[in-house]
Amino acid sequence: MKTLLAASTLALTLALPAHAATYAIDPTHTFVLYEISHFGTSTNRGRFDRKEGTVQFDREAKTGKVEVSFDLNAISTGVAPLDKHLQSADFFDVAKHPSARFVGDKFVFNGDKVAEVVGTLTMLGKSAPVTLKATNFNCYVNPMLKREVCGGDFETTIKRSQWGMNWGLNMGVADDVRLLIQVEAVKQ
Amino acid sequence: MQLRAGLLAALVPALVSAEPVVYRIDPLHSFVHFEVLHFGTSTLRGRFGQIDGHVELDRSAASGWASLRIPTAGVDTGLPAFDARLRQADLLASELYPTASFVASRFSFNGPDVAALSGVLTLRGTSQALELRALRFGCHSHPQLQREVCGGDFEGELLRAGFGASFGMPFVANRVRLVVQVEGIRE
Repeated sequence: MKTLLAASTLALTLALPAHAATYAIDPTHTFVLYEISHFGTSTNRGRFDRKEGTVQFDREAKTGKVEVSFDLNAISTGVAPLDKHLQSADFFDVAKHPSARFVGDKFVFNGDKVAEVVGTLTMLGKSAPVTLKATNFNCYVNPMLKREVCGGDFETTIKRSQWGMNWGLNMGVADDVRLLIQVEAVKQ
Repeated sequence: MQLRAGLLAALVPALVSAEPVVYRIDPLHSFVHFEVLHFGTSTLRGRFGQIDGHVELDRSAASGWASLRIPTAGVDTGLPAFDARLRQADLLASELYPTASFVASRFSFNGPDVAALSGVLTLRGTSQALELRALRFGCHSHPQLQREVCGGDFEGELLRAGFGASFGMPFVANRVRLVVQVEGIRE
């Protein structure tokens, strides 16, 4: 009886290794959209299409870590000459800095949902702190993948000048850039 | 007398012109983004462009008229496979209906600024009422074009099942939020 109990305890322990799990970013449901004011009139939007990353997530311990990098050669605004300008040395300077990277190592919870991810955004060779606020967060079992998927929507507003991206500031092009982040990650 | 009329015309700024003013949609600064919730978890987005059409504003009469063409066949989500799926018959049916249209004839103003417009959206061959509310609106004199440019951001909502684009419900929501950037250059 004791052995059986010990065995089942061991089995349980192995099945639930402190609830920490690794999730792979689902690139088909993970995008960053930026928004920047166009001369105070309308909002220009653009999207970063190629990305990869992983999330370590422990719902019980309420901890997590996310690492995502974005290929800046895949900027998409719907206006090809604008994509080229954004990739030039005036903005992202992709020849020298082809990717941007976000590492979030502090997950703030509200109940069992992630409410904020605090981390560091690196682009143009500079790193600065960024806090992503969740506007949606949920986990579900995807019927096609038959696996748990966690994800949500996050947003933040950064000042691009913090990364040395200063083009047009003196001509009235905005410094504030709002980032809207869709993310889903599949349990491995 | 002619001189006086000329002087008067020069004195009346373009922005308070009493006649209806026509603006041609600037396709470089006019896009429709859609947002729809995926498995109650995250927001799928896609973009429609380039939009063409024109808008007529008569601020003194607080009226306006807009006609926009939105190419649904060019839907762009960032995932070519997803774009192809969206173009199929049970979603956008882009082969049969490559273009959606929005014709608005009721405008409301907040001072000189457009506050909302309502009209008819025709998508997938089905027409339904749609209201777009301004999140911001403004006009400025474009330094290179030397013309007045007006525009803003608008939002609206539709239920896609009402247009027969119902594939994937309920995992992908019925409610679709439209986020519209639009700028028009004065003709």
